[in-house]
Amino acid sequence: MTGLRTHPLPKYLSIARVSAQEAIAYRFSTIVGVVTIFIWVLILYFLWQAAYAGTSSMAGYTWDDMRTYVVLAFGINAMVGWRVGYVMMATVRTGNVVIEYVRPLNYCLTQISRACGYCLVEGLVSLVMCLLVGITFVDIELPSSTASAFLFALSLVLGLLTKALFVFLVSLLAFWTVSGLGLMWMQQAVIQVFSGTIVPLSLMPDWLRSITSVLPLRGIVSTPLTFYLGKAEPLDAIGLLGMQVAWVVVLFVLANAAWRRAFDVAEIQGG
Amino acid sequence: MGAVITAEALTKRFRRPVKQAGLSGSLKHLVRPRYTEVTAVDEVDLSIEAGESVAYVGPNGAGKSTTIKLLCGIIVPSAGRVRVCDVEPHRHRSRNARNISVVFGQRTQLWWDIPVIESLRLIGDIYSVPAADYERNLAEMVDVLDLAPLLDVPVRQLSLGQRMRCDLAAALVHSPTVLFLDEPTIGLDVAVKAKLREFVGLMVRERGLTLMLTSHDLGDIEQLCPRLVMLHSGRVLYDGPYAELTRRFAWETKITSTLAAPPGGRPEEAAADILGVTRAELHDLTTLNVWFDMRVTTYGAVISGIVDRFAISDISVEEGDAEDVIRRLYSGDLKFSTEDVS
Repeated sequence: MTGLRTHPLPKYLSIARVSAQEAIAYRFSTIVGVVTIFIWVLILYFLWQAAYAGTSSMAGYTWDDMRTYVVLAFGINAMVGWRVGYVMMATVRTGNVVIEYVRPLNYCLTQISRACGYCLVEGLVSLVMCLLVGITFVDIELPSSTASAFLFALSLVLGLLTKALFVFLVSLLAFWTVSGLGLMWMQQAVIQVFSGTIVPLSLMPDWLRSITSVLPLRGIVSTPLTFYLGKAEPLDAIGLLGMQVAWVVVLFVLANAAWRRAFDVAEIQGG
Repeated sequence: MGAVITAEALTKRFRRPVKQAGLSGSLKHLVRPRYTEVTAVDEVDLSIEAGESVAYVGPNGAGKSTTIKLLCGIIVPSAGRVRVCDVEPHRHRSRNARNISVVFGQRTQLWWDIPVIESLRLIGDIYSVPAADYERNLAEMVDVLDLAPLLDVPVRQLSLGQRMRCDLAAALVHSPTVLFLDEPTIGLDVAVKAKLREFVGLMVRERGLTLMLTSHDLGDIEQLCPRLVMLHSGRVLYDGPYAELTRRFAWETKITSTLAAPPGGRPEEAAADILGVTRAELHDLTTLNVWFDMRVTTYGAVISGIVDRFAISDISVEEGDAEDVIRRLYSGDLKFSTEDVS
């Protein structure tokens, strides 16, 4: 018998651990999944390079800022990948979700723990890619100060939770639709636009910015990067972090309520 | 010891969408959805004592799985009461989950891509099984189920039989009080089936596990469950000893006689005159089949009646067996009648 233990691990931690192992078991698709995202980084890099040819700053973003933003935005977004939603939709489609429901677990927390486990591996690959692309090719900036690095880290964690919860909510729709593929595509597009991955919020047209700035998705990419680049005044920083926390709480409550509702629908499928 | 599982007038109704065929049917449903109500479980009463093994059988769609889901707290009853280990499953799902375990023959609770041992350990963590209990428990199951060579293999590389052995171990990691087995031996070969039954039987005897088994395999039932509950269209139609089933329903028995020579006259009518005979048929000139009601007469009386009327060279009797009874009950060939004649 391998590795005797003196205590059982806390259950959600144990789920995260096993999920990380799962992501490692599928290391090839994990790596490919992250690496292909960086193709976007290159496309956007050249696009912005052309746009900055005639100007030194756009909506407060210098070329240095923008280069850094492009690399990190996609890097951050790749940290919670497609796997968690994909796995959840698959269990719904096959009815295996029943098995998760006969355990003494909160289903939503289970999925969040899974996302964290996958994130450990996907995040690591993403970090490596960020450093690789960022140092050798794009020449990204370091955080503007120690304080901003700290705020960035805090905000990043909240952002990852936000994304995991959003993916959870979208994946729940699989209870109503037969195929999850359309949902996955839609989810990816919505997140990329509304989180500010493709374009920073401050460069969006007013009407779009007024929407995206209150939605939770900005917390995934835009808010952490605002801290990283040192673009938030102390008072703004409190507001932004407060909003991230508030959204995580709201999404968690919503996710649990939606889960119960979704499961009631799923009953019909059983024999 | 009191009852571990009780259900009183337990009922579950589903609303099923009514969709007409084709694209236009789908569109109509989108605009004005219509539903019918299906009663999957209809006023079921059950009382299962600690340590009892009960087979829960019935044709597909009889409501077996729905009952299991109700007992697991996965779905909420429409009416009636249900308690498992003094817990209302749907109200306290998590607390109930600690007392029970479910094995679905067609699903696995193990994580597909990681070695079996990791899944088992995770399940131990989920139920916060103390390390010493976990190790002792696991050692026993590894020994009895011969799991040692399988522990480091990812589940996707296991055969169905190997996977089921691991799934059973996974179900018992947290030492549940009640074990639900839903079609546990489906698709398994004879040797593996025998091994699984033996293991479950051992667990029931040694750990005092309460077992509820749904299966279409009568071998499972015969070996493991002295008591049988039969369900049809959501209702309990029989609840009693397995052995009693034959006596209760297989009262019509057949005697086949080979006549020494083709009989003259009307042999069917002559045979039907014997007391208790329900019908008689002549095949191939000399083979006479006679069915009679065991509740009103005996083999001896019918045989002597036949011997009196015909010259016979050979005779064989057929005992009603449970498999035949259940098959005929499922197909509606045999009617459920619970009143005894005698």
